[in-house]
Amino acid sequence: MIWLGEFARRFRMLIHRREFDADLEEEIRLHIELRQQEEFQSGMTAYDAQAAARRRFGNTMYLKEESHIAWGWEWLENVAQDVRYGLRTLRKSPGFTAVAILTLAVGIAVNTTVFTAFDALFLRPRPVKDPNSLASIFRTTPGEPRGGFSYPEYLYYRDNSRAFSDLSLFAFGMAVTSSDLPATSPGVVPRVAGAVGFQLPQLLQGSAQPIMCFFVSGNYFPMLGAAPLLGRILLPEDDQANATPVVLMSGNSWQRHFHSDPHVVGSTLHLNGAAFTVIGVTPLDYLATASSIPDLWAPVSAKIAIGTATRQELENRLVIAGFPMGRLKPGVTLSDAQAELGVLAAQLRTQYPEAERNMTAGVASGRSNLAALDSDAWPVVIAAMSAVALLLLIACANVASLLLARAVARRKEIAVRLALGAGRWRLLRQLLTESILLGILAGALGLPLAGWMLHLLIVEIASALPSFWGTIALEINPDIRIFAYTLFVSCAAGIAFGLTPALQASKADVNSALKDDSTAFGYRLSRSWLRGLLIASQMAACLVLLISSALLLRGSQRALKIDPGYNAKSVAFLEMYDPKNLHYSQSQLLQLNRDLIHSIVSLPGVRSVSQASRGPIGGNRWVAVARADATSPPHSTGGGETPLAGYSYVTPNYFDTLGIPIVRGRTFTPREADGRAHVVVISEATARRFWPGEEPIGKLLKIGSEKGSTSFPGERDPFVASSVVIGIAGDVRSMDLRRLDESYLYLPLSQSRQWTSILLVRADGNPTPLLPVIGREFRRVDANLPVLAAPLNTMVSMDPYFVVSRIGGVLASIVGALGLLLACLGVYGVVSYSVVQRTREIGIRMALGAQSVQVLRPVVTEGLRPILFGVALGVLASAGVSRALSATLFGLSPLDPASFAGVSLLLIAIALLATWLPARRATRVDPMLALRYE
Amino acid sequence: MHRDEILLGTLYLLILQTLARSGEMHGYEIASSIQRISEDVLQVEEGSLYPALQRMLIKGWVTAKWGTTAGNRRARYYQLTALGRKQLDAEMSQFERVIGATTRVIEAV
Repeated sequence: MIWLGEFARRFRMLIHRREFDADLEEEIRLHIELRQQEEFQSGMTAYDAQAAARRRFGNTMYLKEESHIAWGWEWLENVAQDVRYGLRTLRKSPGFTAVAILTLAVGIAVNTTVFTAFDALFLRPRPVKDPNSLASIFRTTPGEPRGGFSYPEYLYYRDNSRAFSDLSLFAFGMAVTSSDLPATSPGVVPRVAGAVGFQLPQLLQGSAQPIMCFFVSGNYFPMLGAAPLLGRILLPEDDQANATPVVLMSGNSWQRHFHSDPHVVGSTLHLNGAAFTVIGVTPLDYLATASSIPDLWAPVSAKIAIGTATRQELENRLVIAGFPMGRLKPGVTLSDAQAELGVLAAQLRTQYPEAERNMTAGVASGRSNLAALDSDAWPVVIAAMSAVALLLLIACANVASLLLARAVARRKEIAVRLALGAGRWRLLRQLLTESILLGILAGALGLPLAGWMLHLLIVEIASALPSFWGTIALEINPDIRIFAYTLFVSCAAGIAFGLTPALQASKADVNSALKDDSTAFGYRLSRSWLRGLLIASQMAACLVLLISSALLLRGSQRALKIDPGYNAKSVAFLEMYDPKNLHYSQSQLLQLNRDLIHSIVSLPGVRSVSQASRGPIGGNRWVAVARADATSPPHSTGGGETPLAGYSYVTPNYFDTLGIPIVRGRTFTPREADGRAHVVVISEATARRFWPGEEPIGKLLKIGSEKGSTSFPGERDPFVASSVVIGIAGDVRSMDLRRLDESYLYLPLSQSRQWTSILLVRADGNPTPLLPVIGREFRRVDANLPVLAAPLNTMVSMDPYFVVSRIGGVLASIVGALGLLLACLGVYGVVSYSVVQRTREIGIRMALGAQSVQVLRPVVTEGLRPILFGVALGVLASAGVSRALSATLFGLSPLDPASFAGVSLLLIAIALLATWLPARRATRVDPMLALRYE
Repeated sequence: MHRDEILLGTLYLLILQTLARSGEMHGYEIASSIQRISEDVLQVEEGSLYPALQRMLIKGWVTAKWGTTAGNRRARYYQLTALGRKQLDAEMSQFERVIGATTRVIEAV
């Protein structure tokens, strides 16, 4: 324990070091005085005695320092001194400091955010008992390595595997409706999504709200070691065919819908009309193995009662039921399990050669969600991570270039300090401290910035999703390890570049530096061309990003203004949410349609209500069409390819409601609709396609094929061998917003036979204010019916190309703007550098009578050269990139002059400003001062 | 008069021994005492006493407290600790070993 006492003494000295120095000083003074007195008494003169005493004592200053250093705190005092000095230096150039710190902070924050989000989503161990022994099992077929299993397959593995102590099934989720939920307050409008320009159809307020129910096998919660907050968890006996129907409520739903009322346990909840007993509540934010928190958890067997699956579907080996996850027995490895599953899969293949053809089973660690990332998602993840890592790299490079530029200005300072006897190592340490200070300050700013970005990323985006999709409950604190790592990287970059010039400067011949050789005529740093190239390529990259973003944004803006061929502005789109869940009979459903139309059409401000089997936007159903009289295929399509057409069953007033003109002929009569007459209204383009130059009215069209199509299970495609064309409707953009449909068919909808989930409401003006009123009508007619609603003109944001161009445009403009900022800082640095270098030259020129303009010109020219070079390069590269974008530009030319010229000029203007600001300093050079340097 | 530099590493020994003999002393007294007893042969560069004393304070061989001199001046008095006494014994035996060995080498000629 000797060292402990020693440390305590050293530490005490550190605390009282001022007092300590005073004591030492007094002690030494006493010593010298006593010696002097003695020498004086031995007969010396006073003067000699003093000299002798001092001589005998030695170098007072040196010895004092020695005594001080003996305590071992010198390093700390040096650090403190360096920090003080560094802070003072940084404060002296606030512009440099602010820019460097901000640049690094953004780089650090963006990286911390993205990597933390990735970690939280995919790497963090699941919040369950012993996640390391969990394993996911996938059904592997050629082309689908990560498939799910049918229920009989799951049961076979569960009952025959010996590698797992438990094998549970996660059997997907389903939104269900419940009439027992208290009314909820209207959802928060998602800010970010709104700002970017997305308006997803929202649940109609007032109508019933669906809730999310996840289905799991009975052994799921016991396997995970889940503990309920109230009541009990789901158990294997709940998952029996004849068990009492029960559900487990999530803590989040309990809080949101039931205000944490403990009496919920034991109460009855009707789900899609079937009665369930709530047996318990999970803790708040309990995720189990899911990636979002549902409102309810129910046993797989409850699917039948809720109506999301039939018994036949559950017993069918071809219907995927879910993803199994098991707990490996102690000592069993993943490869042991894999071997066993391979044997079981082979047994299944022998027993059911048809259903289980090519099937085998794969196993992956269930510790985290990583296995959920399939091979399609990896490139996206890698691209995003590379992009942010690149941003950090750019930030570091930029700080480096700032430090390089600054080093020139500090050459003299360093030379002076060397001349005064500063140690080289001490000097390096000083510069090191400054770099680290920058890093630490950037980190101090970057950490809260990262927290804010994560909040934005997760909370805001999560809130943009409909609440019944489940609750996102991610840990959204920045990951400290990742933060430390990025901080370390940026500090390392700062050190590397902060030290390079320092090393160089400290090696410099003190004499020449003091004489200021660096400003001699014609002196050029060999690094300058490299810096020019760096700037040119940075500018080019920025220009590519910014031109792309301008094209994408202008394109998506155009999409909003496109005339789709129908009146999108005054029509509201309503879609009832999965009404099959309600177990209504066909006649009930038809009555529902009639009641709704009747009550909505009588609302003030409503002109008409139409039914359609699908909305006029985002159509994704096709049917084969051909001329019924044609023996040969129509000329418009080469080869034997069957032409396809989009189609919709519509009521006769559909064309009026949507403002689609009937250019020739007529629309259906109600009698034709109810009588299923073989008549069809076709679009102009369809007429041109099949009967170019002929009168299409009265011609016959074959719709669909005898065989039918299997591409869309669940809904039978129409088949009419011979349908009479009775009308030609104006062309619309329905299948793809970018162009008019090649073919679109309107088939008569029988209101007495066909039920539709979609209603279209034509309002007198903007339909948005009508939506809440319509919502109340829905609730009045049927309180169990959730309805999605949106004005038609906002539904353009569901067009996938619009989504690509909007998101792509916004992202490209953010990265591009950041890049531009960084590039301009680089320009600023280089020009400042060149001005400092030329101070003497400029001074002499001015002394010889040069005007400001003459002095400015070479400086600005030198700064502009790499910029213009970069812009030229960027325009060329953009022309190549924009060709690839042309698909999402909604008719905007890929070489849109406004985007190209506008962005280029803007970039040049900004770069010119970045050049001019520091160049201006050249004109302020006082010739006398510059010359006096000699 | 010629004065010999004290042997390297023996400064601690001299200080420790001086303090052991006389109890409490301040820096000047220690320097004078070493000089007087060695009959002016051993001459400490007086200043180097102070870094050495600091190091001994850190090691815990001596303690210091402020007092007043005969001339009524404030001075820091050093005193040996138990640890210092142990150190003195160790240094002493080491010194004797080295001197003995040196002497044997010299006399063997």
